[in-house]
Amino acid sequence: MGDAKVPARFERERVMSFIKNFIEQETINRRKFLLASAMGLGGAAAAGVLGGGPARAALSDPTIAWSYRNRTNPYWNEIVSGGEAFVESLGKPKSDLVHLINDGSSEKSLADVKTLLAKESGNVALAIDTNDAPNCRPVVEAVAASMGYVSTIWNKTDDLHPWDFGDHYVSHMTWSDVGPAEQTARILFKKMGGKGGIVGLGGIASNNPAIERKQGLLNAMKDYPDIELLDYQAADWDTQKANQIMSSFITRYGDEIKGVHCANDTIGYGVLEALRAEGLQGVIPIVTYDGNPQAVDLVMKGDIEATVFTNPHWGGGITAALAYYAATGHFKPSAEPHASREFYGPTILITPEDAQAFRAEYIDSVPNYDWKDFWGPGNGQIVYK
Amino acid sequence: MVDATAKPAFVLRLLSRNRIVKWAPLLVLSALVLFFPLIEWLEDFRAGDAHAYLIDSRFFSVRNAARIGISATPALIVAIGATFIIIMGSIDLSMEGTVSVCAVVFASVFIGLGGTMLSWAWLALPLSMVAGAMIGFVNGLVHVKLKIPSFMASLAIGFVGTGLALLLTRGDRIRVEDPVFRALLTERWFNFPVMVYIALVFLLVAWFIQSRTRLGRNFYAVGGGEELAHASGLNVERIRLLGFTLAGTFFSVGALLAVGRIGIAETATGNNFMFVSITAVVVGGTALWGGIGGVWNTLAGVLIVNVINNGMVVVGLPDFLQDAVLGILVITAVVLSTDRKSISFVK
Repeated sequence: MGDAKVPARFERERVMSFIKNFIEQETINRRKFLLASAMGLGGAAAAGVLGGGPARAALSDPTIAWSYRNRTNPYWNEIVSGGEAFVESLGKPKSDLVHLINDGSSEKSLADVKTLLAKESGNVALAIDTNDAPNCRPVVEAVAASMGYVSTIWNKTDDLHPWDFGDHYVSHMTWSDVGPAEQTARILFKKMGGKGGIVGLGGIASNNPAIERKQGLLNAMKDYPDIELLDYQAADWDTQKANQIMSSFITRYGDEIKGVHCANDTIGYGVLEALRAEGLQGVIPIVTYDGNPQAVDLVMKGDIEATVFTNPHWGGGITAALAYYAATGHFKPSAEPHASREFYGPTILITPEDAQAFRAEYIDSVPNYDWKDFWGPGNGQIVYK
Repeated sequence: MVDATAKPAFVLRLLSRNRIVKWAPLLVLSALVLFFPLIEWLEDFRAGDAHAYLIDSRFFSVRNAARIGISATPALIVAIGATFIIIMGSIDLSMEGTVSVCAVVFASVFIGLGGTMLSWAWLALPLSMVAGAMIGFVNGLVHVKLKIPSFMASLAIGFVGTGLALLLTRGDRIRVEDPVFRALLTERWFNFPVMVYIALVFLLVAWFIQSRTRLGRNFYAVGGGEELAHASGLNVERIRLLGFTLAGTFFSVGALLAVGRIGIAETATGNNFMFVSITAVVVGGTALWGGIGGVWNTLAGVLIVNVINNGMVVVGLPDFLQDAVLGILVITAVVLSTDRKSISFVK
């Protein structure tokens, strides 16, 4: 969508939502205030949105919300615990964080956001993974139209950028998994002495991280002509499915398998148990991804050669913090460079040598993060291919 | 004078339709067990490296049989629980939630009481079975007393179970690393891990219940014609309640074996059990309308599903084709192994 269309569309949605909420005195007050700001009475906090769209002053005490899949998955559990830690850093109880749980439904994700915006009249600092990339635009537009603030992670289409929305779309963070997955593959190949057959077990085939992690493996193989990829199959991030596929791989390839590349830790657990059943645990090296605490323990024991930590706790906290501090006027997103609005999250490689130190620093005690250091741990601006 | 018609009559009787239908699941299983090595042989033959069919087959080997056994055992026990319900003409879809809860209850109590079978922690085993029985009992109560169709009641109870497991674990997974408990997987007798023998014991128990107890025969009576059973003085409600309780108990044993297999209890432990167990029961020839089939059918059904899953990887079928092929093979197996001529309509 071109820039010129954005304000018109905003205007339409804003009018629609105004009609819907016109009886709400609060909205009217805000508009009066906006008018005042525009006339130079409201202070520096108010600024025009690109193309002369509406603007308004910073929010005071916005409702902080995290919208995500659910807590069953340890990864999302960590993300949300980071969000709670941030809320506590403001001196509030962690129950003040509003949880919008979409259970993997983009429709529910959008509907929940709109409900919250209506309930709080736009006084919202939202952190969200929109479940799939196309859903990001309607979510961001809804938040911007009701003058809330939103920061996103993971899912976003390449043509959608925070800077096209002035201050209200604060930031987007994602993780590039190609590089780290390539590093784990290299560690695996070195352990194998640079030659032999490997098998790979991937995530759900259409998931972006699954695609990137496989690509990382393929990239590393270019430098190792004697490594042969015997088979690569989707294990759907599922321990039991990985377990069954791995035991079938052992039947098909037997002694040819000298190493296993797993797309995440949960797949790795299933692979380890399939190897254990055959007495091959410790004989065939494996590498995983995600850096779950239990995987780190297995790295320390030498059962896993390497895993990658993406610090979901920090990611969950900082995403909420970005939306919150932009909303309260602590910083002005549109004054920040593009690299501060779309950036890669941190990745830390964990190997048996540094697993002990890693555990002490990140797992045994959750570090006290400075939630105003938005960009320190990040990995630079997102690059589109 | 020789009776020329005797032999054909004997053959005809041997191959009567009823008899074929009765043995169809086993025939399908045998065909699959011979089919995958054939693909394997063809693949090697084309590569100019022909091996002796079956003898040198990687699929048709004791070690692979053990692998199929490992992947089949938890599903077998869960499917046996579902078999009783399906024989009654009801359905139980609560297995995913029940398995998760029982796995998590077992693991937390086991770790809480010391984390090794050599301490009081073994109490976690019967406790988990009690938990399974209780969930099944509640499931039955909701179905029978609130008069909610078993399909909906059990599905809902399953969701409650998944939520409960999440509440108990807070989204974490619990590792059970006690070597004595993990011997279920690591200790082998005659090439097969202990868990396979334990599953066989429970299969025999289920067979005993099915064929040698009044309760087992009553399942068939209810499934074959509930009004008739009721008119004959059977307490159908009580039988249903007992059936769901029994199923819940079997689900919990399946959960224990699932934890034994991967050493992890989590909310996701129950994933996929619904599809695998219901498919296995139906593929095995137990009719969804009740009254027909039994636990041996279920054994064949579970083996069919797991042989297909294992075989597809072993012959190198690309993963994006596997789900589609599994679906087609399941339909084929059901067509071959259930007698659909005796019924006038299918719901």
